[in-house]
Amino acid sequence: MTLQECYIQLGGNYDDVIRRLRSERLVTKFVLKFLDDGSCTLLLNSMEEKNYDEAFRAAHTIKGVCQNLSFTRLYEISGKLNEALRNGPTPEVPALVEDVKEEYQKTIDAIRAFKESGGL
Amino acid sequence: MNRSILADMLWDEYDIIEAEDGEKAVEVLKKYESDIDLLLLDIVMPHMDGFEVLEVMNQNHWIDEVPVIMISAETASTHVERAYGLGCTDFISRPFDALVVHRRVTNTILLYGKQKKLVGLLADQIYEKEQQNAMMIEILSNIVEFRNGESGMHVRHVRILTELLLDHLTEKTDRYNLSRNDIVLISNASALHDIGKISIPSEILNKPGRLTPEEFETMKAHTVIGGQMMDDLPDYQKEPLVQVAREICRWHHERYDGRGYPDGLKGNFIPISAQIVALADVYDALTSVRVYKPPYSHEKAIQMIMNGECGVFNPDLLDCLADIASTIPEQLRKSAGEGRIELRSVAEELHRHEELSASERTLQLLEHERMKFSFFAAMSQEIQFEYTVNPPMASLNAWGADRTDLKETIMDPKTCPEVRKIISQEAMDGLTAALRNTTPAQPIVRYECILNIKGEPRWSRIIARATWSSEEPPKYTGAIGKATDIHESRMQLEMLEREATHDPLTGLLNHAAARKQIQLRMDEHTSGHFALAILDLDYFKSANDTYGHMFGDQVLKYLASKLRENIRGEDMAARVGGDEFLIFLEYQGEAAPVIQRIFNSLTSGSYENFPISISMGVCLTDCVGKNYETVFHAADQALYAVKRSGRGNFRLYNQNMQDKLSVSAISPIDAAEAAEEDQVEKGD
Repeated sequence: MTLQECYIQLGGNYDDVIRRLRSERLVTKFVLKFLDDGSCTLLLNSMEEKNYDEAFRAAHTIKGVCQNLSFTRLYEISGKLNEALRNGPTPEVPALVEDVKEEYQKTIDAIRAFKESGGL
Repeated sequence: MNRSILADMLWDEYDIIEAEDGEKAVEVLKKYESDIDLLLLDIVMPHMDGFEVLEVMNQNHWIDEVPVIMISAETASTHVERAYGLGCTDFISRPFDALVVHRRVTNTILLYGKQKKLVGLLADQIYEKEQQNAMMIEILSNIVEFRNGESGMHVRHVRILTELLLDHLTEKTDRYNLSRNDIVLISNASALHDIGKISIPSEILNKPGRLTPEEFETMKAHTVIGGQMMDDLPDYQKEPLVQVAREICRWHHERYDGRGYPDGLKGNFIPISAQIVALADVYDALTSVRVYKPPYSHEKAIQMIMNGECGVFNPDLLDCLADIASTIPEQLRKSAGEGRIELRSVAEELHRHEELSASERTLQLLEHERMKFSFFAAMSQEIQFEYTVNPPMASLNAWGADRTDLKETIMDPKTCPEVRKIISQEAMDGLTAALRNTTPAQPIVRYECILNIKGEPRWSRIIARATWSSEEPPKYTGAIGKATDIHESRMQLEMLEREATHDPLTGLLNHAAARKQIQLRMDEHTSGHFALAILDLDYFKSANDTYGHMFGDQVLKYLASKLRENIRGEDMAARVGGDEFLIFLEYQGEAAPVIQRIFNSLTSGSYENFPISISMGVCLTDCVGKNYETVFHAADQALYAVKRSGRGNFRLYNQNMQDKLSVSAISPIDAAEAAEEDQVEKGD
């Protein structure tokens, strides 16, 4: 599996990220680092604890990272959640959290497949 | 993770400190402050967000030093506006573009760098200018004061007092219409009040006694001259400082009652600036030492002024003085440390005096070095000298001159009779030769010789360094050096040497030393004719036995002194051991008469009724060559021959051979007998 194929699987924009960060090595490094990112866990925990400020920041971080890595699909969905949390939680928040959770998992799966295929 | 991406873009060119949230960022800022070149700041962060960080930076004025680039996907214009309002420099929006991030960071840092540099340059220039101004006025007033024999503090004191009086006067009344600016001007100009004294002859300026009426007239002229000096600055006539300085210079000796000089102005016709400086001047003169008087105490000075003993002053000013009197000593003390005076306008006119300060400082340094040098020179107890070939001249350090009773500077030292008394011609030539034989690479010479110090010959070690010119080929231009007295250690050494080479009983050379010296003489004079005589005191054993060893020693000493008397200075006498001695001498023509003469005089007497009889064997180098062992052996054999034939005589080795009493013909048994007999005879 190539990095490009991985991007296709997780619904990202390979060309965009390569254009901006200018190095496949750098992108690979950060894509793999995404596996260790605790933002999603933080988001889910914060939701459970109804700590919506923290949840907002976690969603914000996910959004920012995805934006930087051009993980377009996860970026869009986490962006929606981010906005929904910005001024206190709106009714759509639980559904959006589920969406993010689902999409986050897909992304992680794609990166794991990439990693295991030895694409690095 | 976003931080990591940024860091990865920049790490290879910048040192990066990461802070995971706003609070951590503030901690980092607190720690490094302006050592940080740029802050990349996110907006949304736990604990403290980006705006809060900016606010803290504003409170602490870090924002003036550290440029901030905000990073955010939050591009709502209210955010942008708020961030700019808080002093952020630029924005980088997400997603990051490596090129953009790089460019913005670099640009911002360069821009701030330039700005800081410019600020630094400007500050340096302002500081330098102020420094120079302060320096100029100090130099100028010091010139006057040094000529005047006054402490460097007078000008400073007058300035402080003037300022104190002016401050208080404006507090009390607005009658004199003095602005803050006027106060600064007058205080600064006050330093120049005595500048006219530069043209007063110093005999008058520093005369301890009372001035004659003529001298006083000359002295008084310093006011007019000072005023004139200010008038003579044509380009600066409009400068308020020059105008004020002129008033002060010309009129600081006017009196409120009109009886002052030079113009006899009365009351407030005298400019207030000059009135105040006059009062300050009088106070400081009273409390300082002058050639004609000791200092008065502060209290006494104030009292004298108030009583009108030192001139008549404006009552307003006397009131001021009375009011601030108690604070004056403290203020003057405080001023001792500070010396910064702003005097912008005159500074340029006097710019050339900068050179003066440089040379003055150089002179001070030089003077300091001299003092150090002469101190160490005196401490080291060395005669230090410097010699130049052209002109032929030597100079000595003060200690050395004193020690040698020479002048510190000596013209033509090599022919100077006083110098010749100190150092012999031979030593002088030896030293000169040694110095001329050096090279620029190895110019140092050690030379030991006797110097006549205060009429006493003393061994001295001279260590000197030849000076060579830098031209090609280098020329010998002179030398510097020092002479250390090594007499004691030299004497010690000589004594040790003497002990090692001399027989302690008789003071003659011992055999080992004699052997060495004789061989040396023979090696050096290959064409010389030498004779070696070995002599033995006959019947010495019986002298010992009859009169005791003490007596025996006395006899040996007696014989040694006879030996010494009977040889010439260049001849050698030594004690071989026991009662055996040797004589070594050089002769011309026939040896036999010389030997005969010595033999005769040695045997001609008796010591305390003990008749001196000796046996002597002689060998001439003409006969056996110049190897010491051979010569000694031959002489020894001749001695045995004498003993065998009845003692009390002498023989020459070669003569024996000619007489067919060849020593070599003595049979081994005879020789053994002779030896045995000798042993028995010495037997002690």
